[in-house]
Amino acid sequence: MALMPKRVKHRKSQRGRIKGSATRGNKVVFGDFGLQALQGGWVKAQTIEAGRVAAQQYIRGEGRLYVRMFPHRSITSTPLETRMGKGKGEPEAWVATVKPGTIMYELGGVTEEQAKVCFARLAHKMPIRVRFIRRRPA
Amino acid sequence: MADTLNATVRENLGSRNSRRLRNTSQIPAVLYGHGQESVSLSIPESEILAVIRHGAKLVDVTGAVKDSALIQQVQWDALGSDVLHLDLLRVSKDEAVTITVAVHLRGEAPGTKEGGVLDHARHEIELECRADSIPEPLEITVNELHVGQSITVGQLELPDGVTLLTDPDLVLVQCVEAAVEADDEDEVPGVGGVEPEVIGRKTEEDEGEE
Repeated sequence: MALMPKRVKHRKSQRGRIKGSATRGNKVVFGDFGLQALQGGWVKAQTIEAGRVAAQQYIRGEGRLYVRMFPHRSITSTPLETRMGKGKGEPEAWVATVKPGTIMYELGGVTEEQAKVCFARLAHKMPIRVRFIRRRPA
Repeated sequence: MADTLNATVRENLGSRNSRRLRNTSQIPAVLYGHGQESVSLSIPESEILAVIRHGAKLVDVTGAVKDSALIQQVQWDALGSDVLHLDLLRVSKDEAVTITVAVHLRGEAPGTKEGGVLDHARHEIELECRADSIPEPLEITVNELHVGQSITVGQLELPDGVTLLTDPDLVLVQCVEAAVEADDEDEVPGVGGVEPEVIGRKTEEDEGEE
């Protein structure tokens, strides 16, 4: 099942704006390599899951994949052929808000070549531009 | 031999001047410590990137100021591509310093062929040593690591004259059983699916009790 929060304070949220770059979650912390967002955007829970599956199928239990984003925000939509008004629609999907610089996934225990191929497969699923990065030296 | 940074004293301070400086491939830096006055410097970006690439901790500052210094902090931009600022701490070569050293894994753990996954829990450790004998990144061999086994920080072989500051009982690397993760996407949340509990909202059962 795709990711979603267990408990929320509010079922629906306003759209908001994605301003600035990520100042947190912008370093490779757990693994050796990472996939970094170069654009801001919303990544759906299904997309996060699709990326995880694509990476997991490639590494096949050899390395360890870390998913560094979580869909905290609900997206609402009104059904088709509905008249205007009658309030905000019902939650339809859950998304992670991603700022430029956010590390979306990390990979450890594999070689750099394997990590590059793995993230290339994963990057195809992402709705925003991403890039491959290494852990910063201590 | 320590890497060298050719520094010039920076007269124009402030964020606007620092930004202009970065546009000329110079990086603003500051040198402080030993009870002396701090000096604002500018250093060529290429030299700083070379020092970072070599993993050097102790550098010789030459040019306008001559001193040996420890790289205390490197500030990066949000994307981690450009260095924004460098903090240098004056040290004498026989002084004890606290540093963070990377730990690299070597070899192949047999546990990974037994269905396990290698978990490199701690990539860096903290050490105390003389400024002129800062060790290279440490290496640890995992050739005898089976599923369920671990190597702690205390099992690391440290060079002479180096004191470990990190808790020696902390796990450095372990071989854990691979978690079975479902590859199918069976249920879509939202329409027709389950929704999360809303904090503070009374459920029908609660209302019935009242």
